[in-house]
Amino acid sequence: MATSWRGNRRAALGLGMASVMAGAVACSSSGGSDQGSGSVKAPSGTLQFLVSSGDASDKAFRQVNAAFEKKYPKVTVKFSAVPNQNFSASRSSRLTAKNVDLTLAQPKEVPGYASGSAESDDSVAADGGLFVDLSNQSFLKRFQPSVMDAIRYKGKSYTVPTGLSYYTGVFYNKTLFDKYGLKIPTTWSEFQHVVATLKSKGATPLGIGGKEGWPAGLDMIAAVQSLYPSAKDKQQLTEQLWKKQVSLADGKQLEVLQRVKSLYDAAQKNFPGVSSASIPSEFAAGNFAMTVDGTWNQTTYAAAVGSKFDFGYFPLPASENAADNSTLGGKVELRMAVASNGPNKDAALAYLDFFSQPDIYKQFVKTSGFAPAEPNIPANAFLKSIAKYTSPFSPAWDTVWVPNSDAGQAAVYPFNYPAIAPMGKGSPEQAAQEAQKAWTQA
Amino acid sequence: MSAYPFGGRAAIRGTFGFGLVVLLVFTLVPAAGVFVISFTDIRGLPGIPVHWTGWENYAKFFSASKIGYNLNALRNTLIYAVASTLVINLLGLGIAVLFNQRIRGRVFYRAVVFMPTILGVTVIGLIWSLFFNPSAGPAATIWSWFGADSAFFGDPNLALALVIFVQIWSGMGVAVVIYLAGLQAIPGDLYEAAAIDGASSWKRLRLVTVPLLAPSVTANVLLSIVSSLQSYQLAYVLTGPSNPATQLLSLAIYAQAFGGSATSGLGQSQGYAATISVIQFFIVGICSLAVLTYLRRREARL
Repeated sequence: MATSWRGNRRAALGLGMASVMAGAVACSSSGGSDQGSGSVKAPSGTLQFLVSSGDASDKAFRQVNAAFEKKYPKVTVKFSAVPNQNFSASRSSRLTAKNVDLTLAQPKEVPGYASGSAESDDSVAADGGLFVDLSNQSFLKRFQPSVMDAIRYKGKSYTVPTGLSYYTGVFYNKTLFDKYGLKIPTTWSEFQHVVATLKSKGATPLGIGGKEGWPAGLDMIAAVQSLYPSAKDKQQLTEQLWKKQVSLADGKQLEVLQRVKSLYDAAQKNFPGVSSASIPSEFAAGNFAMTVDGTWNQTTYAAAVGSKFDFGYFPLPASENAADNSTLGGKVELRMAVASNGPNKDAALAYLDFFSQPDIYKQFVKTSGFAPAEPNIPANAFLKSIAKYTSPFSPAWDTVWVPNSDAGQAAVYPFNYPAIAPMGKGSPEQAAQEAQKAWTQA
Repeated sequence: MSAYPFGGRAAIRGTFGFGLVVLLVFTLVPAAGVFVISFTDIRGLPGIPVHWTGWENYAKFFSASKIGYNLNALRNTLIYAVASTLVINLLGLGIAVLFNQRIRGRVFYRAVVFMPTILGVTVIGLIWSLFFNPSAGPAATIWSWFGADSAFFGDPNLALALVIFVQIWSGMGVAVVIYLAGLQAIPGDLYEAAAIDGASSWKRLRLVTVPLLAPSVTANVLLSIVSSLQSYQLAYVLTGPSNPATQLLSLAIYAQAFGGSATSGLGQSQGYAATISVIQFFIVGICSLAVLTYLRRREARL
């Protein structure tokens, strides 16, 4: 019976969503041509669309795809969502085979002090003309100018943003915090107090899904956000590291790894073997009180937790100065780019025009959980609750850092969090020394 | 009557010629291509200018910043190859000898041992990931009976051993089949003669079975060494592409060629990956030839 009820609820929800999207299509059909669509031809044929997979974003894209096909019946959207770690390989092979029209890219300019080996594939691809220059497309005007400025590459716009995400914060179990009289910590000492209290009550303070490696990296990125809070701080650190003016093995750089070690110590037993996919359900089951994760997952957490308890999100306070802990680091989410060698560029451009129409986009951000990149689109209640941490926008460390492919593996991020036990075998000091050696030998 | 089967020389030339062309096009040409691109900075993207870089990629492989990572990958690869080859062959031979006896249900047992061979790597990865799930997997329950716990594939001291275990589990079937075929090709008369001469079971195994099984041992050992030196798929699906504890040379090739990631921000470099491939080719070639020479001489001695 319960299954049947859930099935009916899903069907009802699906119908509801479909009607909302249909309404949006109707609105966009009549009102969409005033902006942007003038430069877009009526599309037909198959639109091949490749993205890196995420539960919420996949669902949101599928809704847009269905609405797009409804508006343009002669177009079939062939949507492929591949796991994050396989995305680069899939995109390369499909670009080579010329069977992708629309995909994701994030070309980034390399500062003058970094060597040529620091150029990412996306930058090289944009330079090589693999992505269509969208600078003159009028649909870009629908997005916030500050966002478009942030993602411009060498003065041109190659990508269309889908929204913003923040990922230097902590999802926490409000109900459990209330039960133990805990308040949102604003300094590292307060955070340590929260951890100690939870431990004393027999609760596991933190959940980390370490099996894939990168989710543990979110703890590192969150620690960097507090210790280097502004974009300028991060840019300065990047430049100083490239110019070998500072070491990864001392000062605040070492402190980052010491913070990471403390977070590992607060995490559930054997977390390096736990898949990140299981973290939302384990959080919902009350197996731990907090987890560092991105707001891109908030709809997944909401679905997993349901009405079991209230949860919230606060910036990880890795600094002893509360002011440094008051912002969340973020990034412009999944940026869509049109493959210049794709067989159906017309459909790809029409899709971007359709996607960016306010009614369609509003529904997309609602489902995906992304913060809107267009003006006058209301954020959801969760994002409103963290608004005080997100303005002004602060880029997360990994969007500022310029890695060097000539450096050793230990200096890729360059904070060597995978080498710290129990993820690796060493102490923060040893991991930092190893990273410094790998960095200076490049 | 023609001295040639199938009616004449033309048919044989045609058949072998076709085989040679297939071999050239699908094996030798790509192999030569890999060697050539190991001297370039080619990336996995179309239309990007490619430059000759000379010996730069080779110098990079042995550079101070990379050599530690590469030596770790080489060390893991050798441990992986030696351990899996030894266990697969010793255990495989034992199982084959057992299954060659007239025991009830031996066809079923053979099918059970061979079954993992037909499973895809992803399926194997899923099965063992679930089994070794530290939160709720059966292995965690078994460990808990002894008051222990483990991160299993997340434990840097245990991960490689577990990947080797899964490799043995999945590769055992083929070894057993080859040994069984070898055992069944040994004439029964020899065992009868040995029995008449008063040879015990152990002596029959040592003096009849093992010498006559030498070609199967050579084939199996060589297959195990080559496949384990080139294997990366299990390490990838079980522990991810960049886990230092299970970093193998082949996995390093994959990570360089196809693993450019948004997480690290590093791009793909198929030129450098080709360089690692060439180095790996020489390592596999030298190991295989050395083992082949030793086993052939051993066969001749026996």
